[in-house]
Amino acid sequence: MLCAECKGRKGLCGLVRCPVISRFQAQVKARQGGRSYMGGAPSVFVGSYNYPQVSGGPLMTGEPDSPTEWVAHGYGIEEIVGIRARTIRGNSQIRQIRDGIEEIAISSRPLDVEVHFERPVSFNLTFNDIVAPVGLRGEIKKMDVIDNPRVERAVDRIVSDTDLPATAAASALHRSEVDVHQITQLLTAGLLGKRRRIVPTRWAITAVDDTISKALRKEISRHPPLEEIQIFHATLHGNQICCLLLPGAWKFEMIEIWRENSLWSQGTETIIVDGEGATKSGYSPLAGAYYSARLAVTEYLSRIRRSAQVLIIRQVGNDYWAPLGTWVVREATRQALSTPPVICESVETGINAASGMLGSSRWRHHSRLIPEIMSQRSLFDF
Amino acid sequence: MLKAKIDADVFKESIDVISALVTECRVHTENDGILTRAVDTANVAMVALGLDKSAFSSYEASPDQIGLDINKMKNIIGMMSKGEPLTLDLPEGEKKLKLSFGGYRYSITLLDVNTIRKDPNPPNIELPGKAVLSGEDLNSAIKAAAVISDKVALGIDPDTEIFYMEAEGDTDHIKLEIGSGDLRSLTPVKVRSLFSLDYLKDMGRVMGRADEVEIQLGNDHPVKFAFDIANGRGHVEYLLAPRIEAD
Repeated sequence: MLCAECKGRKGLCGLVRCPVISRFQAQVKARQGGRSYMGGAPSVFVGSYNYPQVSGGPLMTGEPDSPTEWVAHGYGIEEIVGIRARTIRGNSQIRQIRDGIEEIAISSRPLDVEVHFERPVSFNLTFNDIVAPVGLRGEIKKMDVIDNPRVERAVDRIVSDTDLPATAAASALHRSEVDVHQITQLLTAGLLGKRRRIVPTRWAITAVDDTISKALRKEISRHPPLEEIQIFHATLHGNQICCLLLPGAWKFEMIEIWRENSLWSQGTETIIVDGEGATKSGYSPLAGAYYSARLAVTEYLSRIRRSAQVLIIRQVGNDYWAPLGTWVVREATRQALSTPPVICESVETGINAASGMLGSSRWRHHSRLIPEIMSQRSLFDF
Repeated sequence: MLKAKIDADVFKESIDVISALVTECRVHTENDGILTRAVDTANVAMVALGLDKSAFSSYEASPDQIGLDINKMKNIIGMMSKGEPLTLDLPEGEKKLKLSFGGYRYSITLLDVNTIRKDPNPPNIELPGKAVLSGEDLNSAIKAAAVISDKVALGIDPDTEIFYMEAEGDTDHIKLEIGSGDLRSLTPVKVRSLFSLDYLKDMGRVMGRADEVEIQLGNDHPVKFAFDIANGRGHVEYLLAPRIEAD
C-alpha cells in the first residue's frame, strides 16, 4: 500500500533513496557523454528541487520527444526508455538562460541549440511517477539558440496576453487544439498567466491536466446525460485502462490495481481508490495519474456533449517495468475512448463486462461509486 | 414583464434555495408572485419555490418564463450588502434583466428557456410519517451523519414517539433520536428510508436557516422537506429520492 501511494516521490518508508527505483536504475548501463552539444532541443525541463530557487534547462535530443509522437510512432517501453537515456538534460540557474528556455518552449518544432557544458555530461537515469525519465545531465556553461522558433498563432496570441489568468489561458490553448504537452511546456517556462513564474515541470504537468479537466467538467455539467451504459478498454505499455460510463450527472471515480509483481505493489496486489462529485478537495492519493485520466475522459464527454458518471479502472501488470510518467495514463485512456464502445443493458452487466476485460473482479468491493449507483432511486421511479 | 423591488436578503435566500440543487432554472412570473420548480441532472432531487407578491416591497408582473443562470446570480449577490433594496426590471419582450442595488446597475443576459429542462411533474406519492423540527437541529443532524457515512436513514418510531436519524459507515455508526422535547409535532407512523448525504448536505445548509422544517417520510420512499422563507411569504419544498440497498 505504502509504495503504491508514494511512487518513490515522498520517501514514506523513511529510506533516503527509494529501493524500488534504485534497484531499477542499477539495471541500466552507464554511458559517457561529451563536453558540448549541437542539435535539436525540443523541450525544457525544470526541477522542483529547492523551490523557488529552481534550476532547469533544455532537453536535448534529435529524436521525438512528446508523448503524442511516441504513441503515434507506436514506440514500446524499451524504445522510450532508450530515447530518454540518450537525452541530455541541460541544467543551469534559470535566470541565466531564461530567454533561450522561453524560445524553446514556445516553438512548435525542436530548435537547434549550441551548448557548452562545465564538465562532460554524466549518466544518471532518473525516474518518477509524473515526468518521463531523462538519462544524461550536464551543467550548462553557455547556451546559444541558433534557430528561430516557429510559433502557432493560438500560442502567440495567448502568450502575449499578460492579462489572461493562467487557468483561462490553459483552457483557451486546449480549445485551440494545442497539445497538452506544449501547454505544459509554456506553463513550466513561465509564459502563461498574469504573474508569470517558472513552474517545476512535474507540477506543471499535473496543473495543466487538472486545470483543463476542471474547465471541461464545468462545461459537461450543462450537457444532457448519456443515454446508455458504455464500456471502453485499451492497453498501453502494460497499463490496462477500462472506462465505464453511466448515465447521470458528473461523478468520477478511479481505481488503480497494481498487480502482484508490478512496479509498486511489493509482492501483493494493491488497490487504491479515489473519486469526486461536482468538486474535488485536496490532492488525490493516486497522484498525477488521477488528473491525467480525468482529462482524457472529460475531453471525450465534451466531444459527445453528454454528462456521465465515470468509473476508470487502471490495472498495471509487471510489463510496465519502468515508470514513464502520467502521460501513459492520459494516452491509454484517450486510446480506449477512441475505440467504439461496448454497450451494456444494465449496471450489473457493465460491471461483469469490465471484470471480464480485466480478468478479475476484486476491484469491485473497493468502489464507492458502484453501490451508490446501484442503490440510488430516481424521483420518477415513484 | 417584471418590475419589482425586494429586500436583498430575501432575494439571496431564494437563490440559495435553488442553487443547492441546480445551476440554472426556469422562473415563472405570475400576477401574484414568482414560482420555480426544478430537478437536478440525475433526477434525484427536486426543488419547488414560491415567493408571494407580498414578499416584495413592490411587485408588478405579467405571466412569463425567464431562464436564470443561478451560478451567475450567486456571484452577483455576493456584492450586495445586508438590507439593501434590490430592483429587478425586465421590460416586455426583452432578453436582459436589469438588476440594481446600491450604486450598481447590472444588465444580465437571460438564458433561452428552451435550453433549460422543462418543469418536472412532482411524483404522486403518499408520505404518511410527519415530523416538524427546527431547521438548525436538522442541519446539525445531517452534518453529524456526514462525518461517519455517505448515506443516512431517516425514520419515525411510533412506539417511543421519536424521529431518528441513523448512519452506518465502514467502521462507525451514529444514531440521533429527537423526542417530544425538541419536536414541534409528530405523526407517529412507522417509516424509514435511506438517503444520500451528498444531496442532504446541500439542502441542510439552506434548511438550517429556517425556523421550522416539516419532514414527510414513507418506507423506501422519497422524503419531502417543507419550510418557509421571507417571514412566511415564501414557501419551499425539497423532494429527495431514496437509496434502496439490495440484499
